[in-house]
Amino acid sequence: MEGILSWLGRAYENTLFVYGLVLLLVYALLALLSMLAIRHYTRKSTHHQLDILASSPMAPGLTILAPAFNEGLTIISNVRSLLTLNYPRYEIIIINDGSTDNTMEQLISEFRMVAVDFAYNPRILTQPVRKIYKSTDPAYSSLMVIDKVNGKSKADAVNAGINIATFKYFVCTDVDCILHKDTLLELALPVMQEEKRKVIAVGATLRIANSSDFDEGVLIRMRPPRQLLPRFQEVEYIRSFVLGKMGWSYINCVPNVSGGLGLFDKEVATRCGGYDHSSFGEDMELLTRMCRYAHDNQIDYAVKYIPKTLCWTEGPASVKIFSRQRTRWARGLAQLMYAHFSMFLNPRYGKMGLIVFPFNFFFELLAPLVEFSGVIIYIYLAVTGQVNWPYASLLLLFVYTYAVMITTIAILWDQLSFGYYKKWWEVAYLCLTPFMEFLLYHPLIVFFSLRGYYYFLTGKKSTWGNMQRQGFGKKKK
Amino acid sequence: MSKILLVEDDEIMPKIVARILPSAEYELDHVSNGKEAFEKLEATNYGYDLIITDIMMPYANGFEILSRVKSQPRPIPVIIVSNAGNEDMIMEGFKLGADDFLKKPIIPAELLIRVKRLLMKNK
Amino acid sequence: MFDIPIPAFLDPALSTFREAPLAIRLAMIFIIVAVLVTLLAYLSILRSRFLGHQRRKRLDYLLPKIDNLIIDEIMANPEVAAGTPASQIQLNLDGFQELPLHKKWARQATTDRIIHFRRNVRGNAGHLLRNLYIQLELSKDTMRQMKSPKWARKVRALTEFIDMDIPVADVTILPLTNSRNRELRAAARHAYIKLSKNEPFKFFDVVTDPLLMWDQVELFRIITTTEDISIPNFARWVTYSSNKSVVSFCLKLIVHYNQLPAVPAVTQLLDTKDHYLRADAINCLGKLKVPDVEDRLVSMYSSQPLQCQIEILKAIGRISSGRQIDFLKQEFLHSTNFDLRKAAAKSLVRNNQLAGNVIQELLETANRENLLILKHCMNPLIKY
Repeated sequence: MEGILSWLGRAYENTLFVYGLVLLLVYALLALLSMLAIRHYTRKSTHHQLDILASSPMAPGLTILAPAFNEGLTIISNVRSLLTLNYPRYEIIIINDGSTDNTMEQLISEFRMVAVDFAYNPRILTQPVRKIYKSTDPAYSSLMVIDKVNGKSKADAVNAGINIATFKYFVCTDVDCILHKDTLLELALPVMQEEKRKVIAVGATLRIANSSDFDEGVLIRMRPPRQLLPRFQEVEYIRSFVLGKMGWSYINCVPNVSGGLGLFDKEVATRCGGYDHSSFGEDMELLTRMCRYAHDNQIDYAVKYIPKTLCWTEGPASVKIFSRQRTRWARGLAQLMYAHFSMFLNPRYGKMGLIVFPFNFFFELLAPLVEFSGVIIYIYLAVTGQVNWPYASLLLLFVYTYAVMITTIAILWDQLSFGYYKKWWEVAYLCLTPFMEFLLYHPLIVFFSLRGYYYFLTGKKSTWGNMQRQGFGKKKK
Repeated sequence: MSKILLVEDDEIMPKIVARILPSAEYELDHVSNGKEAFEKLEATNYGYDLIITDIMMPYANGFEILSRVKSQPRPIPVIIVSNAGNEDMIMEGFKLGADDFLKKPIIPAELLIRVKRLLMKNK
Repeated sequence: MFDIPIPAFLDPALSTFREAPLAIRLAMIFIIVAVLVTLLAYLSILRSRFLGHQRRKRLDYLLPKIDNLIIDEIMANPEVAAGTPASQIQLNLDGFQELPLHKKWARQATTDRIIHFRRNVRGNAGHLLRNLYIQLELSKDTMRQMKSPKWARKVRALTEFIDMDIPVADVTILPLTNSRNRELRAAARHAYIKLSKNEPFKFFDVVTDPLLMWDQVELFRIITTTEDISIPNFARWVTYSSNKSVVSFCLKLIVHYNQLPAVPAVTQLLDTKDHYLRADAINCLGKLKVPDVEDRLVSMYSSQPLQCQIEILKAIGRISSGRQIDFLKQEFLHSTNFDLRKAAAKSLVRNNQLAGNVIQELLETANRENLLILKHCMNPLIKY
């Protein structure tokens, strides 16, 4: 008995050691790859290119899809800001997902909309579309509003938009996200500049809008969030986009294009059946399915990422709403891993099956479980007096300094290439945040993830849908 | 003396236009986005003889400015000066009642001629 | 080990290190590495922010000066307004001598500003800006950049030459058109078309790799904005080029220049095996509004894949000769594909003058779905 236990303990210890080592190596590798990717981006892209594209008759048409549910407070200024994006050829489709406030009325009166006889041909099944509106003012001829029955999910709303989109590529965003004015130009470039592969999706860096200054949907000045919880998220976003996604994009292994902003190939997305309205992480789920579709149909595809921040979104400022968001994300991840497990280490799915999926499985899905079990065992050992305190604290210190280093490197890449924020002390303020992240923010995420997994396993019914979107970025006025 | 409103978010263009249109004959006001343009127009009760505007600008684009200006009881003539090369966009401008279109880069003498012509016509 | 005196307070740390197992030793080393890297990152951030701040301050001071000089010397030059050709205008460079042009960053800033001006004005003033650039000897830096081993610098230099319209010898550009780096290769080709005095379109003959969408955007801009370029009949490449992207690009140029003499070559392309190319050819014929090809298009219609069928229907709408109204009506009523019915309805509506009766009849008799399609296409508020 003793023997088995100690053997188990040994095995656990060794596995944990290897696990930790691989994770650290992957992060070091990502730091390196992201540097290469960002350097390539900054060398290649000049402002001049954006000007050329903006003035070209050959720019590919783009459709912007922005679902709105009870966004009455900000809908007008946000649609106005979409109307003033720099791009020569685009349409805007706002999907009013059965709002119960005056979102629809405001849109109709502000933009002089009328219902039109629209030949709607749904290729993806959604909740019924009630009416389709166009403006009688030619100044808003690029705007279209779909009024549909509430589908209780962002996925259902966007799918209705995909059905009606005119152009070959659509850009999916949230009505409460604020976009950089060059967003469409920036997202179109990687599609046009790709040599061999078919670009099926392009993403860009997102940031937290909380303390930045906006005026009628236009960014005036970027600031790091003053409140601690959103500031943690800002740092986390910089790490996950500038270091994570950029690093992965360098080897064409992007696991997810964020729902806040992404460009997608309409044909591929439609053929996959669009967003899955039963998914709790519909953005990642769609991308996985698109990649899978591309593999199944021998399409040599690419998913691209841009290090520049193009989208600002309100991060949850209260722990309650934050917990809802993260629990949902974790549940979405568990769902996704379960549904697509046949891709796991399946060579048929190339890098997707051999790198992206296993990485997500081991280091995204299992990480909270591993950490949690680690803490439990640690406590047990501590109580039974088996901990070598100097060594244990050294190891802990090592993990701590390493985590701070990785985050600081992400901030460094971001600063070197774009020099965001106006004052140096704002950056210093941001640099101090990772020191607390490990102790305050990280445990929260682990806890909410575990709760998400628990809900996934027990199949807890939830009335998320709308509730969630409300929490995720409701503007305070 | 003709009052002209220039709506343009490029920083150099206003300086150029200011030189092309001699200050002895033209009083030029410059704003750099749609919001300021509307504020200026409201404040002066649409008291301009001519508007020169770009299309792609923050807050409100050139089309909205056109649409608002042309729905006034006394529509002000509008010249679009833009680098837009997309024909649909230019057509859209004319549909909204733009009186003239000049593609960037412009020939200074040409802008002067068109401005003069439009002002003459609307005297 | 080296004979460095070790301070006594490090002794416990060192002895812990020596006695520790491998994992702990590694951890200790990496703690130091991580702390150092983090500190280094802070320093780099500070440095880059400081440099950025300085650069902005210098530019805030310098740019208004450059602007004023350029405005005074070029925009307000009475001779430009009088129409004297730029080559005969003597520029007064005294004001510019006061700029710190011995500094590289100041020269670069001046160059960028001149390019910015040239993006806003052309004609005589544009030529004069170019003279200014040459007389201030700003092109020398660019020439030096061309010799840099770094591709990004070369691309920058080439772009600058294109923007300033500075002739570069073919021998300098040609080797770069075969560079292994795609960006450099593309920039060199653009420069060749813009700046070569020989046959600017020669590279259409030799290029074997596909022109990307982006290359086409840049080439289109260069070809359509270069003032003294002689436009060839692009039919030549439509017929002879084996590079599909070149053919497809030439079709767009044919439409842009409305090259009707190219019609026979484009019509011949309808026999190609490649659907995409065939669809492009149909699109081109439609935009050229060639009524003679309508019969041909209609006769080939039934054997085409969907995308070509849609292009055929659109082309008939663009040509609007009124002779294919029955065909359009037939497709509108009987096609099983939604997109085809919609394209047919759109083309009928475009034929409105001649198809008025037919549309009226269809409005009265069509089933619910078709009626909706027809109304959709007739609604002026709906663009697509």
